[in-house]
Amino acid sequence: MSVHRMQRIAAVGITVVLAGVLAAGCGKKGNDNGGGSSSGSKSDGVKVGLVTDVGGLNDKSFNALANKGYEKAKDKLDATGQVIESKSDSDYAKNLGAQVKNGSDIVVGIGFLMGDAVKDAASKAKDTDFAIVDYTYADDKGAWAASDNIAGILFKEQEAGYLAGALAGKAEMDGKLDGLNDAHVLSAIGGQEIPPVIKYIAGFQAGVKSQCGDCKVLVDYSQDFVDQQKCKDRALTQISKGSDVVFQVAGGCGLGALAAAKEKGVWGIGVDADQSYLGDHILTSAVKRVDESVYTMIDKEGTGDFPGGKATVFGLKEDGVGLGKIAQPAQQYQSVVDDATKAINDGSLTVPETLS
Amino acid sequence: MKEFVDVWILGLGLATLTYGTPLILAALGGLFSERSGIVNIALEGMMTAGAFFAIYVSVQTNSWFFGLIGAMLAGMVLAAVHAVATVTFHADQIVSGTAIILIAAGLVNFLNLTLFGSEGSPPDISSPWKVGPADFRVSVLVPLAFLAVAGTWFVIFRTPFGLRLRSVGEHPRAADTVGIDVARMRYTAVLVSGALAGLAGAFISFNVDSYTENMVAGNGFIALAALIFGKWKPVPVMMACLLFGFAQGLASRLGGVGWLPDAFQSPELLNALPYVITLIALAGFVGKAVPPAAVGKPYIKH
Repeated sequence: MSVHRMQRIAAVGITVVLAGVLAAGCGKKGNDNGGGSSSGSKSDGVKVGLVTDVGGLNDKSFNALANKGYEKAKDKLDATGQVIESKSDSDYAKNLGAQVKNGSDIVVGIGFLMGDAVKDAASKAKDTDFAIVDYTYADDKGAWAASDNIAGILFKEQEAGYLAGALAGKAEMDGKLDGLNDAHVLSAIGGQEIPPVIKYIAGFQAGVKSQCGDCKVLVDYSQDFVDQQKCKDRALTQISKGSDVVFQVAGGCGLGALAAAKEKGVWGIGVDADQSYLGDHILTSAVKRVDESVYTMIDKEGTGDFPGGKATVFGLKEDGVGLGKIAQPAQQYQSVVDDATKAINDGSLTVPETLS
Repeated sequence: MKEFVDVWILGLGLATLTYGTPLILAALGGLFSERSGIVNIALEGMMTAGAFFAIYVSVQTNSWFFGLIGAMLAGMVLAAVHAVATVTFHADQIVSGTAIILIAAGLVNFLNLTLFGSEGSPPDISSPWKVGPADFRVSVLVPLAFLAVAGTWFVIFRTPFGLRLRSVGEHPRAADTVGIDVARMRYTAVLVSGALAGLAGAFISFNVDSYTENMVAGNGFIALAALIFGKWKPVPVMMACLLFGFAQGLASRLGGVGWLPDAFQSPELLNALPYVITLIALAGFVGKAVPPAAVGKPYIKH
């Protein structure tokens, strides 16, 4: 009886935990800063079909931000259309198909979970354009393994990381802010060793070194995007080793790292969204503007230069990544951020994508 | 040297307590329920509700104490649903528990968005007292959890109530014939279980002063495992929880130390370490775990 029961408990437990991990893994937070500078030419109302992933519209992240980009397009470009929320992974094909039938000019799929579904839908509806956030069909050699009516959307996370790192490195070098020690140690906590996370941290490391040559950046991975305690515990260890600036790149888990920074009176750096609302200990945030990227895609669809058959990369120059609010005491170092921005934008500085 | 003490002595000690305390509270909850004959795999869901309502009530009342009360009540509401389904209506306890886990996850995430909006709970909230020396400050819930272990032992093994509770879990028919109200005992036990699980959830969210989706992250299931490894006895259950907490803290500190070969420092491998250590230690030394005889079986009075 006991064996049978434990099997059932184990099965249920594993299912629920896996479901949670999957749901958490696909949700990454985005920023809440709406508008950017790029306002496109007016078109005669592109018809947009937005399909969310299972995160739904209120996920504070990809879906919510993509919707924000769509709302902005409705406002500024007279776009029309509708949003369909997916309730489960099996809904994607159906929902994408429905948006095609609605006569959408462009169908936007949100998040990498929809990669296969978008590829299928696009191969069946050649007259409709598709865009997909955070996904590319390009293989290692750059060949596009999907039809040409799909545009991928990627981000240069490393550039946002670099700006945050340069600011933190300068503050560290200067050593005047409250909470800084003279150990010249900073740290980053990633959720998993996956490209977007590594790019953020690689950029951060390069940014720190650009301002503070002898500074050390401790890097640790929590293997988790939801369990705050795991990130808090790791951050506490890093702080014990002298870190006085902790950069979180672990979504919900990473909020625990920022809580550790607050508890120990050191600085934290937010990720994806502008997390300055968490308190005065947030030095700044490295943000990713999903809304801006979706808006740009709709705009390009309207002007007839839809970038199909490749992934468009949104960097600092395209206003696709950037910095959130800088803490008041650190605003004296704004010029460092401005200089780095200028160097990245004019091409004189290329930020590494991998850790050194 | 100071770094060594901070990371490996104080830090690891604190981590053991911080990972272990919610497990202890939840596992004690499971202990009450299962000792009465009701499987409560819904601990995870009750913890989720507790984690959210601790923060929500604390924000609304500006008092962590009411936050804890709110967390316990939230856990008890879900526990009441479980009790009605399984005790009164004799529903399958695993199915009811699974339903409650799913309901709790959906409902709490909905409430979180509705009540707190997209930025989540406000950053500055009333949080439980910290106690202990300057380098080793822990939430007041930590000593409370150890008191709960002692209290549970006393109640289960040294009071008439505990004897009745165990008897309905072992042989409800016999208990019934000597005049013990089986349904009432089981209701009480499941409600206590919900309150303790709610408290466990409160510890998790108060530890970081915020609620985020799915933050309970499987701790309810680990607590259930600890309950089985601890053979449904309070002190061994506590030891199992602390061992798991210790292993978690250890794994989190082994990443990036110089003296381990690289292969052993892969984050994926280290992530599995707590489970491996716990399995080896417990499966290797604990021996056969025998649950209360009537656990999982509905009792139908004739």
